[in-house]
Amino acid sequence: MTPEEASAQRPADPGALAGRFEEEAAAVGDRGGWDELRIRWMGRKQGIVRGLLANMKDVPPQERRDYGQAVNRLKTAVEEGLERLEGELEERERAVAQRSAAVDVTLPGRRPAVGAVHPTNLVIRDMAQIFAELGFSVAEGPEVESDYHNFTALNMPPDHPARDTQDTFFLDPGRVLRTHTSPVQIRTMEARRPPIKIICPGRVYRNDNDLRHSPMFHQVEGLAVAEGITFADLKGTLEAFLKRLFHPDTGVRLRPSYFPFTEPSAEVDVTCPFCDGAGCATCSGSGWLEILGAGMVNPRVLEMCDIDPRRYSGFAFGMGVDRVAMSRYGVPNIRMLFDNDERLLRQI
Amino acid sequence: MIFSRNWLADYVDLPADAVELGRRLTAQGLAVEGMEERGDDLLLDLDVTTNRPDCMNHLGVAREIAVATGAELRPPEALRAGGEGDATDGVSIDGAAGDEHPADAVAVTVEDPADCPRYAARLVRGIRVGPSPDWLVERLASVGLRSINAIVDVTNFVLWETGQPLHAFDLATLAGSEIIVRRGRAGERLTTLDGEERGLDESILVIADRDRAIALAGVMGGLETEVTESTVDILIESAHFDPSRVRSGARTLGMHTDASHRFERGSDPEMCGRAAARAAALMAEIGGGTVAAGAVDVRDDRSWRLAGTLEADRLDAFVGRPIPADEVARALTGLGFALEEIPGGWKVVAPPWRYYDLHPGAGGRGEAGREVYEADLFEEVLRVHGYDDVPSTVPTASGPDAGASPEFDRRLYLRERLAACGLAEAISYGFYGPEADERFPAWGPEDGVIELANPLSALYSLLRRSLVAGLTESASYNLRRGAAAVRLFEVGHLFARSGDGEPRETEAVALVMGGLVGQPWDGPRQLDLFDLKGVVESLVEAFQVGLAFEPAEVRGMVPGTGAFLRVAGKEGDPVGFLGQVDDPEARVELFAAQLETAVLGRVPFAHPVTLPSRFPGIEADLTLTHPREVSWEEIARTVRQGAPEHLVEFGLKDRYEGEGVPDGAVNTTLTFSYVAQDHSLTSEEIQRAQAELARALEERHGWRRSGDG
Repeated sequence: MTPEEASAQRPADPGALAGRFEEEAAAVGDRGGWDELRIRWMGRKQGIVRGLLANMKDVPPQERRDYGQAVNRLKTAVEEGLERLEGELEERERAVAQRSAAVDVTLPGRRPAVGAVHPTNLVIRDMAQIFAELGFSVAEGPEVESDYHNFTALNMPPDHPARDTQDTFFLDPGRVLRTHTSPVQIRTMEARRPPIKIICPGRVYRNDNDLRHSPMFHQVEGLAVAEGITFADLKGTLEAFLKRLFHPDTGVRLRPSYFPFTEPSAEVDVTCPFCDGAGCATCSGSGWLEILGAGMVNPRVLEMCDIDPRRYSGFAFGMGVDRVAMSRYGVPNIRMLFDNDERLLRQI
Repeated sequence: MIFSRNWLADYVDLPADAVELGRRLTAQGLAVEGMEERGDDLLLDLDVTTNRPDCMNHLGVAREIAVATGAELRPPEALRAGGEGDATDGVSIDGAAGDEHPADAVAVTVEDPADCPRYAARLVRGIRVGPSPDWLVERLASVGLRSINAIVDVTNFVLWETGQPLHAFDLATLAGSEIIVRRGRAGERLTTLDGEERGLDESILVIADRDRAIALAGVMGGLETEVTESTVDILIESAHFDPSRVRSGARTLGMHTDASHRFERGSDPEMCGRAAARAAALMAEIGGGTVAAGAVDVRDDRSWRLAGTLEADRLDAFVGRPIPADEVARALTGLGFALEEIPGGWKVVAPPWRYYDLHPGAGGRGEAGREVYEADLFEEVLRVHGYDDVPSTVPTASGPDAGASPEFDRRLYLRERLAACGLAEAISYGFYGPEADERFPAWGPEDGVIELANPLSALYSLLRRSLVAGLTESASYNLRRGAAAVRLFEVGHLFARSGDGEPRETEAVALVMGGLVGQPWDGPRQLDLFDLKGVVESLVEAFQVGLAFEPAEVRGMVPGTGAFLRVAGKEGDPVGFLGQVDDPEARVELFAAQLETAVLGRVPFAHPVTLPSRFPGIEADLTLTHPREVSWEEIARTVRQGAPEHLVEFGLKDRYEGEGVPDGAVNTTLTFSYVAQDHSLTSEEIQRAQAELARALEERHGWRRSGDG
């Protein structure tokens, strides 16, 4: 073989091929083209790089070293180029795929079915929690009560005028649907010795059925009996409770009143939570809402429970829960609370 | 109760500012519920509590104002207590010129002093009954009374001035010149001033003459003895009747008058004589008659002045702050109490107008001779002192009370779980009608329903023995208003009479579900019995209670859909039921369940979990062809009994009947999960286990062609 012949048969210059690869790679637009490119350049049988390596034997020995290095440079460049190109193609494909996965994110979501606890019972729960923190436990009792526990033991003997104000549902002789949860206080004092600190939540009944009243509603009453309980304790406990229930800035006012089972007695007002005491329709412009009744336990009530009023004193209070729920959720009529309309209940 | 500012001003100087007056009255216990200008007058609507009959008149309110402001109280001369003749209240009257004593003109007999502790009367002769002067008409108009004639008007005026109800008889109409205070007689009748004829009985106290009842004592006079324009001689009755006697009589007759309102709450027993004298003097002044010099006064010797002791340090301990001694004395003295200082406090004598409020016996009928409760005296001091000035503290008392109660906590947890299951909580009344009562299984013994004696209506005449009845009502309410689905629950009491007749009650929870759930764009689904059952199952699981569902015909449920609920492994009465509500008119299929909550026990405090294995598990399925009558529960029991080692869970994968399955048979595919805690299971292990299970199921429940034996 002449040197000329050898030169003619010598494989193409690997250094010049790198440029050709770059040109071909730039023209590839998809995965198929990339595969073709890879096979053309890196194919195990027909690939250009493989061919160059196979031609090594044809290179004069003194040039082989340079030739080999050049082929290797080309191989590295092609491999890197292919990898880069593959990354670019994937990127492009993902972008296309993502474009087709685009959704209208303003469409409604698929909601899990969630129910609701009744607004009145939510208020009872909150009240119980506040009083738990004040060291009160929950006591409960029957809704069918004896006349004795509902009235007489609360210093309302038969013929007491205060009985008139509690339109009572009567059952068998001597039995009533409780008109308040106070009988639970009596049952607790009969069963336990002081110190006692309880609240009594529950359903109560009054024979009073018109647009503004429901014959059934809910009360939370409370009782604390121990040595040294003062009127100031009553005031402080109610203030702590009402400020937690409504708002820390809530104003609390006690006015003298009368209940047969407490002495002295008080009506308790809070600054109207709707107008912060400025006066609005809800509070009839007074700035105050009557929220509960309270007082020091009448010594006669203590005596009837065999608790010595010289040694022990106590306070008691009671409030309607439904009215609080109504004001909290803006329900104008108590009867709406017991229609059991899911459109209302499920907003709670 | 309405009071006139101008009238009050007759007895006490008032603060110039009406708002200030209202604030003081409210702060002292006479809450001002409204104020209204009327000409030059201001009408005050005061909430006078039932224990303060002494404030149901202008003098009483004036006394409260005097105590609040420190002003002097100026009662009319004839009404001054402690004045001349106070012991008998035979007050001398200017212009009383007659020599005649009323006792000569009429004989008064009180049959039972317990009914009528005091009966005083005055006689005015030669009167001309005519219209009232303007000042009197005005006074009565201010409290909403219409002028009738001067005599009747004077009795009403004195009632609103002193709180003592009076009645004027036309003396000439009294048969036998006799007044007898006695009980009514069965069959006796009386036409009252309002023209109503009323039947009397033994429970009603009456005023009678020799022949007949002439007035309802303490309530209303009779028509035949009323004062008319032709009346010349007048007998003024000023009595003290027992509150409960007046109350029961008024209730029996369904009557309520200004007089009965005061007598029922307790009038001032020592006011009788003075009020009669005041009225007699006014009548004579207006009508020109002559007042007989003396008074009839039939009375028992009871003292109406209760004694008590007020210890200063106990007052301070009760209130929670010290109250100065001079403040105590000023408040009580102003309210009419007599005070005598003793070491550490005072001996106190209460005024007679507070007798019924302060009597230590309930309602004024307790043990005689007992002292007034100190709390009553504390109250008087405290309300004059003002509640606003009392500091705020919290009780330091320790004790066992802290937190709610197990039952309360259970209810909270129950509600939260059911809300989490997608149900909304309803609250229904505790009573319903007979139709609702018959519809669903009733809690308690068969005949144990409790009736209300005075129900709102027949629809609410029974205490409920079923929560489902109310919930299905609420479901209908929602469906009628266009709801696509209903998912409601309620927690409440059930009531029944037990075998011994005693009422019993228990708490239960009930659920009602039905209708179409899910979004229209997302494959909405009809709720069915197993949605309901799933909620029940997840609920009892949360309380770690096992429940058995016993197929049964349940009242009110579609046949073949009902089950009674029992605590697994416990005999006795079922603790609940479920099923599809049988209602041909229902807009959607409704499903209902009820369960007594006591079986749920306490909210689980803790329960150990099974730790997941570190080794992979294997799932395997198995299909069994079996007669339709074989229940899932039977199949599950067989699996449980023959449960192979490492079987941790199994369940229903599919049910199929139709092509390829014989008539009357069903294909049930079960799925099984195997996991070992200590090694990776091999498929050989599982195949062995599955083969054994398949054999057991096949043997016990497998379908056999008829004739297969």
